[in-house]
Amino acid sequence: MATRRPSRRQLLRWTGAGAIAGLSGSFAAGCGAGAPEDETSGSGGESDAGGDGSTDTFTVYWNAGHAYQAYEDVLAEFEQAHGVTVNFQKYQWDDLRTRLLSDFASGNAPDLVEDAGWAQEFAISGEAMSLQSYIDSDGAEMGYPDDWQPTTLDRVSYQGETYGIQLHLTCVLPFYNKAMFDAAGLRPPETWDDLLAAAQELTGDGVHGIALNQDASYAWSWLLQNGVQYYDPETEELMTPRDAAIEALQFQADLVHKHKVAPVPTPGTDYSGPQKLLSAERAAMILSGPWDLLPIQETSPDLQLGIAPALRNREQASVQAGTSMFIPAASAHPDLAWDLIKRLTALEVEQKATEEAGMLMPRQSWAELPSVQENEHFAVFADAFPYAVDYVEQLRLTGKSGEIGELFTTLYQDVVMNNTPAEKAMESFISEGERVLAG
Amino acid sequence: MSKRYALTAYLFLLPAFAFFGVMYYTPIVNIITNSFRTGPRADTFTGFDNFTRVVSDQAVHNSFVVTLIFGAGTTIGAIVIGLALALLVDKPLRGRVVFRAALLVPYLTSIAIVGLLWRNILDPQLGILNRVLDSAGLPTQAWLNTNPLATIIGVTLWMNVGYTMVLFLAGLQGIPETYREAATIDGANAWQRFWRITLPLLAPTTLFVSVMMVISGFQAFAQAYIITGGGPADRTDLYIFHVFNVAFTARDFGYASALSFLLLLVIIAFTVVQLRIGRRGEVQY
Repeated sequence: MATRRPSRRQLLRWTGAGAIAGLSGSFAAGCGAGAPEDETSGSGGESDAGGDGSTDTFTVYWNAGHAYQAYEDVLAEFEQAHGVTVNFQKYQWDDLRTRLLSDFASGNAPDLVEDAGWAQEFAISGEAMSLQSYIDSDGAEMGYPDDWQPTTLDRVSYQGETYGIQLHLTCVLPFYNKAMFDAAGLRPPETWDDLLAAAQELTGDGVHGIALNQDASYAWSWLLQNGVQYYDPETEELMTPRDAAIEALQFQADLVHKHKVAPVPTPGTDYSGPQKLLSAERAAMILSGPWDLLPIQETSPDLQLGIAPALRNREQASVQAGTSMFIPAASAHPDLAWDLIKRLTALEVEQKATEEAGMLMPRQSWAELPSVQENEHFAVFADAFPYAVDYVEQLRLTGKSGEIGELFTTLYQDVVMNNTPAEKAMESFISEGERVLAG
Repeated sequence: MSKRYALTAYLFLLPAFAFFGVMYYTPIVNIITNSFRTGPRADTFTGFDNFTRVVSDQAVHNSFVVTLIFGAGTTIGAIVIGLALALLVDKPLRGRVVFRAALLVPYLTSIAIVGLLWRNILDPQLGILNRVLDSAGLPTQAWLNTNPLATIIGVTLWMNVGYTMVLFLAGLQGIPETYREAATIDGANAWQRFWRITLPLLAPTTLFVSVMMVISGFQAFAQAYIITGGGPADRTDLYIFHVFNVAFTARDFGYASALSFLLLLVIIAFTVVQLRIGRRGEVQY
């Protein structure tokens, strides 16, 4: 039987056709990940903890930067106590969220999740389990909620029930280079005017007085200090009072473009840019949190780091941050997950994690520890906790915080990076934001 | 005999069909059905709402335009630069093997690594590129602020031109030398030989490269995800990155599926048009 050998041109065409099918398919397949398998695929099933098919496996999703030895030790004890194998999966935040949403959509779920403030969101969608019955029976013994900072309770609650337990508590404060301030005879800034004056004094010779973060969430320090509320549930309005919001955004843009005391933040996904500039002594001040203490210490051990209380304009305020833990509604081992939560939030574990990584904790008894009060950096943060604000809390309850957050990032970048007047950029944000809230 | 022959052929093809069916076509069907649903789990039927929403969604329009510019820049750049490099390394130069290999290395590197590498190189304060410019007495640039889209097009070209060079090189080496010799005898100069003989005979390769680059341009994601985060202010909000955010930030899998399905149609349309135009340009001597 005679066969025709394909020509080079035909081979190219066939390869191209195959590639089109493959590439188009792979792209489409990526979006299919969110598809539910069927209407009844809501739970993971008793025999599958995180999809490995073993009843003895207990799956935990954790932030990769928080896999401290203190927690590894707790997991080892937990394994021994319950005869289970912990599948400790570590992700960066974005990847953790992507994985988790894919799991929820496919009906799979881990047993315990460290989250970046998502407990309310998943409580609303029915994917997080209420912890209220556990708290009712064990709360007094573990000190919840009495020993937790009061500001950490609402952010994990929905309709009067608790869906998450705060694991870490942080906030954003001014970090400054003490040597630079001392050399210029300056005191740490207390107000916006102080900050601007200090930044102008310290800018020069390749040094900027302050470096702003490209991550839009850092802008909220200024907005909160100007008394701005992200979402007012009573009026259902965004960014109130509006003139204060515009003033706070414009102040940041002016630091960059008018006073030229800050470099233009570079768009991206990395929030460590200002820390690198402070460590390299190319910036005299940044706004940051405890997550930058270790990198600064490791890269610039000789840097004399000072941390100041939050600035004030109309009021003194700081962005509250930190992580919590929640149990997915489809967890195959909710009782074990609750036991692990209790172990991970014990005061001695908090203390070990602080000693190991400098992480700050939500227990009030932690803030009173001598090792915290005697540490000049930790003490400033502990003192700031009472006035630190979770600015997304009310917006999160609308179920639209993700979309509005994207719009806010655009607003911040448009004003601070592109130097668009804050008033004009705010108009676009408000009109798009209202559309999202109405939809 | 012919029936048995066909059966054997289908048996050999079966694993490939099964693989494509499960890994590609089933998810495609899945996203089509999800396109008509809404909610965090795409479980509420919503008819054509997701498709009509696209008409008034300014963010989608912006990301589509950004992606068109990105796709055009990377496709044209990859063809022009790839062909120029192929012509260069097709000559009997000393060390051309090393040169070819060096040009191909970026393509063999993961886009994640390329993205991180260039993000550090381009850092306006601490990046090496501005340090070089500064030490040469030239003004430094905030690359990702002033020309973000052009910058990620440049990074993508840096990565891809080695691949297109190899394709064009294979095409060039498949053109019989006798054609060019005959043209030389007839008095054609170098430019005429290139324009009248080399380029037309490279048409199948050019078509293949352009189809591949257009598809990869529409599907580009990591450049925004790793280098710019889609900013500043959505100026590099590539379409797939936008779809990703709709799915995993706004948590609207139904709308994300509809956007994905529309892109699939756009890619198919572009490819059909390219193939039709490309075939008209093919010549045979």
